[in-house]
Amino acid sequence: MKLLLLTILSTIVLGCASKETINIGGSTTVLPVISNAAESYRALNPDIRIIVNAGGSGVGINQVGENKLDIGMTSRSITDTEKQKYPNVDFNVISIGRDAVVPVVSSEIYDAGITALTLQQIGDIYAGKISNWSELGGPDQDILCVDKETSRGTRHVFMKAVLGDKEAPAPGADLVLGSNNEEQTALSQSNSAIGMLSNAWLNDDVKGLNILMDDGSKIEPTLANIINGTFPITRDLLIVTNGTPTGNIKAFIEYILSDEGQRIVEQSGYVRIK
Amino acid sequence: MTRKSKNSFFKIFCWLSVSACFGTLIFLFGVIFLNGIPAISLDFITSRSSNFGSEGGILYQIVGSILIVLVAALLSFPLAIGTAIFKSEYLNNRKWKKLSNVLIFGLNGIPSVVFGIFGLILFVNILGFGISWFVGSIILAVMMLPTITLTTFQSINSIPVIYRESSLALGLNKWQTITKVLLPQSFSGAITGLFIGLARAIGETAPIMFIATAFSGVDLPSGIREPVSTLPTHILALAQQATNPAALQNAWGASFVLILLVMLFSTTALVIRKRQLSHQRL
Amino acid sequence: MFALNNNIGKSYVVFSTFISTMIIFLILILLLINSWDAISFSGIELFSLEWAPYQNKYGILSMLYGTLIVTFTALVLSIPLGIATSIFTAEILPYKYRFIVKSLLELLAGIPSIIYGLIGVAFFSIWVQDIFQLQTGRTLLTAGILLSIMVLPTIITLADDALTNIPHKYREASKGLGLYDYEVIKSTLLPIAKSNIIGAILLALGRALGETMAVMLVIGSIDKIPSPIYNLLTSGQTVTSKLGREISETAFGSVHFSALIFMGFVLLLVVICFTLIAQYFSNKTERLYD
Repeated sequence: MKLLLLTILSTIVLGCASKETINIGGSTTVLPVISNAAESYRALNPDIRIIVNAGGSGVGINQVGENKLDIGMTSRSITDTEKQKYPNVDFNVISIGRDAVVPVVSSEIYDAGITALTLQQIGDIYAGKISNWSELGGPDQDILCVDKETSRGTRHVFMKAVLGDKEAPAPGADLVLGSNNEEQTALSQSNSAIGMLSNAWLNDDVKGLNILMDDGSKIEPTLANIINGTFPITRDLLIVTNGTPTGNIKAFIEYILSDEGQRIVEQSGYVRIK
Repeated sequence: MTRKSKNSFFKIFCWLSVSACFGTLIFLFGVIFLNGIPAISLDFITSRSSNFGSEGGILYQIVGSILIVLVAALLSFPLAIGTAIFKSEYLNNRKWKKLSNVLIFGLNGIPSVVFGIFGLILFVNILGFGISWFVGSIILAVMMLPTITLTTFQSINSIPVIYRESSLALGLNKWQTITKVLLPQSFSGAITGLFIGLARAIGETAPIMFIATAFSGVDLPSGIREPVSTLPTHILALAQQATNPAALQNAWGASFVLILLVMLFSTTALVIRKRQLSHQRL
Repeated sequence: MFALNNNIGKSYVVFSTFISTMIIFLILILLLINSWDAISFSGIELFSLEWAPYQNKYGILSMLYGTLIVTFTALVLSIPLGIATSIFTAEILPYKYRFIVKSLLELLAGIPSIIYGLIGVAFFSIWVQDIFQLQTGRTLLTAGILLSIMVLPTIITLADDALTNIPHKYREASKGLGLYDYEVIKSTLLPIAKSNIIGAILLALGRALGETMAVMLVIGSIDKIPSPIYNLLTSGQTVTSKLGREISETAFGSVHFSALIFMGFVLLLVVICFTLIAQYFSNKTERLYD
């Protein structure tokens, strides 16, 4: 027992004497890109340690502000309140990709005929004005309205588009979840749910709605529509640092913006920035 | 209803309750074992996790968990023994005894998430340690303190007075009595408490999830101010992806390993306690 | 030399005890200080129904209600089950099996809460969803069920201890009077063990109030009191779940953070109160007529 202890302690002290560490955390939308980029970067630079955490865009911005993270990941822009909270911090924002926030429904609803809605209708569901799918031409079932925690980037972008205010309350919400993963889980467990996800999380159980525009056209949430800008709810995927990045951090960011890094962006289901 | 039928109803209710409890127990362990064992392989235990945890193994989570709780035990043990000795040998006033009991039981009952926010405020923010595995150990040490103190106290207290009297009669002073006569006999009680505390600490998520852990990219920490990955927080992250079968399977695997560790600590405590009971003196 | 050792030893134990006993006050004070911002900002409005940090509304009532109702559900389920099981293990079970049963119970008590959470998400929430034909299984009821399983071992073990501590002559005397087993237990044993059993229940209550992980994953995190108020089949929010989810999102020192700490402070006070009351009951033994 004592021997085990000694071994562990000495491994720590001797083993990884001084590794350069980059601390990254924040949006779960950007997380897959950074995680995978970190893994390939580590293969090229074994001396650098990159620690990645989730938590949401709010946490990313927050912790960069408090100098606990070197790089924050966020899928929304920094709010004025946040800028005021950290007056001494120079938030340097770099875009590393683009994605879309897609209103998603359970596959049973999609298969029952609801494949497109207007932004107004979606907003009404979250505002509590519409509570049954039959009001929208679907089956007679209560809508399970899945919301996200208020500091999440995905929510900011989504609410801005459907309710006009990125911090809008959603009285019609039935469930409040956190990461993209959790939301995807809940949506696939239900058969009449609506929620908001990044386009990389769409799958067979969780179908993305087409947006019914004012002129009657239906815009599908495809990569092409994100690239050409016709899908109305798109956003940049951002990383944030305090001031201009230098040294290892700068090198890693340049790696993400390089061709290889951008390929990782695409493999994760997003659109490259260059 | 006759008295006899009331009696029968009652007995049936008791049997049903026991079956329900037993059934729950079997269900819980069955689920963990049946789902966990297929997920375990040598590869799983010895490789690092990747891709949100849905691929790869849990090596650094295991290392992180063990590191945090062992250091916590190191921090907690001396303090607990000191407190137990004080309570048993130096506290004579009934009122003070009751008060110390209350305070220690009180500490035992504090919700784990409150410990977490306490650690966040004091260590991460005010003292500026940042996210650090060592802070996690400190908080877990505080949580283990009442358990170890109480078992050690029971051990010391149950040593008959005659040992103390003989020791003093031979000319040993108080501290020597404690170290040479009382502590050696109650040591196994202290160790029992230690292992019970370890079993509880290794499964804790809330206290460490926002002050000591990170999700990926962590291997062995190279200093005090670094986060680690632990089994419970890893399971938490995986549980949020419950419909992803790869992630879910890894969650069961990690749960299985965690339960094994908990059982390892608990059975060690049990074995030590049994051995101590069979070594009854006088 | 020996005197010096004696003094060092004494300072060591005094120091240790000081730390052990003072930590609880340190925690209380630290939490109170950090809640001060929220208290001065919102005052009594902290106990309102609306939690909307972006609009500077920090009403924690919905969370308090969620905690209470989930705990209440857990107790309603676990008290009858727990006491009945403890009666079984104490009175009906043959002596040779006691060790195995007690060990199994300890095993159950040792399962970490996050694993309960995982089982909750993977099984219980789906069962609740299917049985009650709901849209989602993340409800107050699911959390209550999980909690009841978690506190069951506590109630069983302590109640069992209480019953086995009663000397046999009470049972023998009652049986000698012609009472059935049920009546022996109900009229003789339970009243004697009453204080200890109440202590056990309060301890279980304290544990249920403070449980975070299992609840956080299955409760749905909606900061609202269900309508109607007794509807357990909707999502809700508890203090612990809110803390677990939101604390890392808030900036240290902001009013939002302070409001969350205030919630934690209130919870801590409630738990400490119940622990003290439990202590009182556990130490109070009924007069055994010797």
